[in-house]
Amino acid sequence: MTFTMDTNRDCARAWEAMPSVLQESASSEQNAWLMDHLAHCQSCSEDYAQQERLRLALSLPADIPVDPAVGLKRLLARLDAPVPKPVVQRVRNGWLTRALAAAVLLQAIAIGALGARYWSESNSPAYRTLSQASAPVPAGALHVVPDASMTLADWDALLHSLNLQVVGGPNDVGAYTVVPSGTPASSAAPTLQKLRATRGIRLAEPVASVP
Amino acid sequence: MNEADLQADATDRMLLERMAAGDRTALGVMYRGYHGRLCRFLSRLTRRQDVIEEVINDCFWIAWQKAGTFHGDSRVSTWIMGIAYRCGLKALRQHGDEPVDEDTVPQERLPSHDPGDDRELRDWLGKGLEKLSVDQRVVIELVYGVGHSLDDVAVIMQCPVGTVKARLFHARVKLRNVLPSLAGEPARLKEGAP
Repeated sequence: MTFTMDTNRDCARAWEAMPSVLQESASSEQNAWLMDHLAHCQSCSEDYAQQERLRLALSLPADIPVDPAVGLKRLLARLDAPVPKPVVQRVRNGWLTRALAAAVLLQAIAIGALGARYWSESNSPAYRTLSQASAPVPAGALHVVPDASMTLADWDALLHSLNLQVVGGPNDVGAYTVVPSGTPASSAAPTLQKLRATRGIRLAEPVASVP
Repeated sequence: MNEADLQADATDRMLLERMAAGDRTALGVMYRGYHGRLCRFLSRLTRRQDVIEEVINDCFWIAWQKAGTFHGDSRVSTWIMGIAYRCGLKALRQHGDEPVDEDTVPQERLPSHDPGDDRELRDWLGKGLEKLSVDQRVVIELVYGVGHSLDDVAVIMQCPVGTVKARLFHARVKLRNVLPSLAGEPARLKEGAP
């Protein structure tokens, strides 16, 4: 409390002492001092009378009726009842665990599917490294480079006469890959000679199986 | 703490030990012994009879569960009032502190004996407490109503003793300025008082 200059220090002391004196927890000296001060101070005496009345009012029994017997009966019933929260927690945990397990399983399946697809694609890559073997070449295959002046009709007639068919090319240097159609591989040599002897064929070479 | 308080605390400790061992009779004795003061204490927080009963039962449900963990750092009564205080605040958050309309309370449940003087005193107190905050009402009740020391109140409210002193100070000043006018007397406002 902020007392003004005209209120003396004893009144502040009396104000501080009132609760413990009213509680009967003050020392006998403190109690006697307060009683002496109240006898001489009208203002503090009125304050103390009000505090006494306040304490009396606060010591009255509660004005809200609550039956202890009914309350105790409910409490004992509550002690016997199963605790709902842990059960709910277990159910929640069970669902959570199952959901997590399902999610992990789905992830595993998805990763497996992606891995299988990647593995299958990696077996047949769209490129070939220099260290890898060349693409397989049919038996009896020949590289043939026709002259630029050779007409398409002459080229077709030549292939038809030698029973050849084009399976590749032309490549960067204008070479076609041709194979005998229905002719055994052993007859490739005469075909090669005939090609070389034909006018308009600049180059005819058998395709080596290994570069 | 006087001799009566020491004796009461010794009895409470014995009851608490029995509760920790699962003795429901001890729980019943403790429940009935504290019911009146808890009821009055909680009536400073809420006017709802159902909430008061719920809080008292919450308090003793916790006391039953935690009886074995009580180490005697404070009096048993301080421990129980602290539990009740926290349960009361929790109930206020859940239910609000709106008072129940008195007309809805069945007549047979109202106190059968309420002399005129008591009713006048209750009205006088009620109007004064309306002017206080919840914490100020709690401190006033614990100090003047229950008779706890400021140190005990600090333990119950889990705050420093200085905070308790400040709450008590402001509550007393506010009541001093309000209560005389409610009783038809002129308010004695001291200059400089908050």
